[in-house]
Amino acid sequence: MDNTMGTTKHKWRRFILIVVVAVAVLSGWTWWNLFHEVPVHYSSDEEQFKYGSIGVEGPMGMPYWLWLAMPRMFPEKLPGPGGYASFGMVWEEGKELPVGFSKTTIGVPRVGMNCAACHTTAIRKTAEAKPVLIPGGPSQQFDIQAYQRFLIACARDRRFNADEILKELQSIYEFSFFEKALYRYVIIPETRRTLLDQGKQFEWMNIRPDWGPGRTDMNPYKLIVLKLTDDRSVGNTDIMAIWNEREHEGYLRHSDGLNPRLIEVSISAALATGATAESVDIPAVRRVNQWLLDLPSPKYPFAVNAELAAKGKVVFDRECADCHAPGSPRIGKIVPASEVGTDPNRARHWTSQAADEFNRQFDMFSWGFDHFRGNTGGYVALALEGLWARAPYLHNGSVPNLHDLLEPVESRPKMFYRGNDVYDPQGVGFVTDAESRGGRQFFKYDTALPGNGNDGHIYGTMLPDADKAGLIEYLKTL
Amino acid sequence: MHAEPQAADIPRKTGRDIRLFVALLALIAVFVIVNAVSNYAVDYVTIGDHFKYGSIGSEAANGIPYWIWKAMPELFADKLPGKGYASLGFIQEAGHDQPVGFSIRRVLIDRVALNCGVCHTGSVRDTPDAAPRIITGMPADTIDLEGYTRFLFESAKDERFNANQMMDAIEKSGGHLGFIERFIYRHFAIPQTKQELLSRATRMEFTKRQPDWGPGRVDSFNSYKALQFNFPIDKLSDGEIIGTVDMPSIWQQRPREGMQLHWDGDNSSVKEQNWSAALGAGVTPVTIDAQGMKRIEDWLLNATPPTYPYPIDRDLAARGKPLYDEHCASCHGASGRNFTGEYVGKVTPVEEVGTDRHRLDSNTYELVENQNTLFAGYPWRFTKFRKTNGYANMPLDGLWLRSPYLHNGSVPTLRDLLSAPENRPQMFYRGNDVFDRDNVGFVSTETEARGRRFFRYDTSLPGNSAAGHSYGVSLGSDEKNALIEYLKTF
Repeated sequence: MDNTMGTTKHKWRRFILIVVVAVAVLSGWTWWNLFHEVPVHYSSDEEQFKYGSIGVEGPMGMPYWLWLAMPRMFPEKLPGPGGYASFGMVWEEGKELPVGFSKTTIGVPRVGMNCAACHTTAIRKTAEAKPVLIPGGPSQQFDIQAYQRFLIACARDRRFNADEILKELQSIYEFSFFEKALYRYVIIPETRRTLLDQGKQFEWMNIRPDWGPGRTDMNPYKLIVLKLTDDRSVGNTDIMAIWNEREHEGYLRHSDGLNPRLIEVSISAALATGATAESVDIPAVRRVNQWLLDLPSPKYPFAVNAELAAKGKVVFDRECADCHAPGSPRIGKIVPASEVGTDPNRARHWTSQAADEFNRQFDMFSWGFDHFRGNTGGYVALALEGLWARAPYLHNGSVPNLHDLLEPVESRPKMFYRGNDVYDPQGVGFVTDAESRGGRQFFKYDTALPGNGNDGHIYGTMLPDADKAGLIEYLKTL
Repeated sequence: MHAEPQAADIPRKTGRDIRLFVALLALIAVFVIVNAVSNYAVDYVTIGDHFKYGSIGSEAANGIPYWIWKAMPELFADKLPGKGYASLGFIQEAGHDQPVGFSIRRVLIDRVALNCGVCHTGSVRDTPDAAPRIITGMPADTIDLEGYTRFLFESAKDERFNANQMMDAIEKSGGHLGFIERFIYRHFAIPQTKQELLSRATRMEFTKRQPDWGPGRVDSFNSYKALQFNFPIDKLSDGEIIGTVDMPSIWQQRPREGMQLHWDGDNSSVKEQNWSAALGAGVTPVTIDAQGMKRIEDWLLNATPPTYPYPIDRDLAARGKPLYDEHCASCHGASGRNFTGEYVGKVTPVEEVGTDRHRLDSNTYELVENQNTLFAGYPWRFTKFRKTNGYANMPLDGLWLRSPYLHNGSVPTLRDLLSAPENRPQMFYRGNDVFDRDNVGFVSTETEARGRRFFRYDTSLPGNSAAGHSYGVSLGSDEKNALIEYLKTF
């Protein structure tokens, strides 16, 4: 009996040991495939800005292979040929990922966005030319909202399933048996669920005018991060240039002046890109932030008539300098919407309640915000370096070019197309009259929609033509 | 007798377990072995045969099951211009089952697909009645690749493409299949092939918006957009819809490394050029046969074109040399073997060279962005694709075998190329492999011969223009004669 008992006990021990080892191996394997991180660092600050991670890939990163396969599987949901390029994403020659996208392994390789996605301007001198990239400029060509909607639409499609996706991937990359199982049973269903959740979280976008390329909104913080009641406000605003920030020390940030601290705005922007409070890579954001202090604004790439520009400087000093010259009393400060007369929607969408809650929300983190403010009621008089690359103009990007901005409101275009990266040196701005190029449909901007008004900022509109010409010539040199 | 088994109950149960276990092991072993032995291609001893008939790995993803491929010309004879695949201009050598450019690999069943040889092997006849010389590395001058794909697609759309009729046709074509193969063909191979061809046909619909390619031409980059990336092809703008070009020669790759390769000079890596072409032939980043490719790539580094086999007037050629040096060498190299020259392998802007710009415009920045994602996840991911603004200046090795000339194959002979663009033939015929020694190029004036109708090339169609490259057109006729004679030596 004793002997039998011993054997049984022994057997039990062995069994438990086997189970423990099996569980350990399995958990190790699962951890490795789902969570282990391989950090990617670039020695150059600019490369880090363009391709480095700011901590988005964990919570919001698309598994790389799915990301690569989706435009090939769902071309009918794209605005044109070219895969992701049709959303206005730009690739540097020879690179695997577009500028503004980072690839980091968190279990499996994942793709997320970083600061450069929204802050890199692409410019073509002619329709046939290749785009030149300007880091720090607004990505007026990239439709981030359409990109997000594409991903969600894919997840809603019945073809978004393991069979179909793995079939597509068969001709892209060779998976091992285990990887296939991992994608089939974990990665694909999980990605689908995440995207469907996102679809629900972002439903508020659908009752508001579309952003179109180069624009964004603060409402994601209000409605998703802070979970405030939807007040149906429209916060659509043009993405801003972020160069030369050392000179802008103390200026209010965001078009409506929501915060004077660059680092707070940078971290909050990282959260908007998809990082969570836990995942955001603060050192990486600080590094980019530091680099932006001295990032130069770009020089105008076409000819400038120096004589005319010199005459224009006189006009500028007389008409514009009070608000826009470095060191002037009003620069970097709020001008009430009632005074400047531009579309008031953005200036009232970020409430004091939102600001207060946002300042409290991340108190447990060392980087928590303290300086957000709401109900600013107006728009910041901005510094104008690199102005030529910052079209369309006004806080909501409602005026295509400088020429139009100096026209009386009723003569400004009521409808135009955004997203084209071909430059128009006559108007000083991007080409906005072409509906499409190379099969890519551009975004029709309707100034009649809420938040899209092109009223106001009538400064200089009554100048004689000669003064306007001089002024425009001078503005090219900023 | 009845009680005995009961007594042996326990050992028998163990025995059954063991047998079950063994059976399971055997099953796994069979699975492993079948997998291991069921993906292999025919090996060819000589590099020439490997190039013409060997596998580069295109069968698994884009192959057609052998017996279907074999039976199709019988079942759909009405869709071919003549008898068999040879009627599309494919080169059928004696003693070979399939034409040049078709490889066979077993992926569970034998499958047929294309290799490098299909577009880069040509034939030349000394006279209309002579037997053809088969020359590897030269541009395919007779094959109608578009005709071939159309034949496949039209057949797949035909109601006769069904298991019953196909199985009968296979039987008639000599495929006396065993029970298991019959089962595989009937229930898997035939319906799957039909479905895959139909899906490929949909992607290739854009070709309906183009003038016909004709023999010896291909639109590789629009096909890329459709097949590799599945661009929404109906949204391609008119400006990029035509990218049809002449097939190029592929000798002498070593001195080409670092040059701007492809007609528009969009890639400077010989390896990427080769592997990109393999994708065009039907491999995928997963199925590519790296060893099979390497054998070809190594050989191409030093492969040379055959020397001009007809008499050359040496004195006349000697008088042509200084003319060449003066008018051509800086762009096209010091000679047919020495590719040095200030602008060799560089792009000349399209405004300057003045040739048809469709091919340039069809390769868009957006396509280039996508091309650099090919082979993602592998150390050999493409990184060298670029958007350019013109056409690359090519070395001229084996020039005599490379007619019709210019990137779109719009000028039949060297003599025509030295005529002012407005005097070049507006209309001519492609696909004839009889050599024209007087003008240097293939005979382009006959409408048909040896049972084959040739392709009428109309230079007034979009993408087909014979304009531009007006270098040397103002030379005197004696000088032109000398220059042409000299170019024969390349």
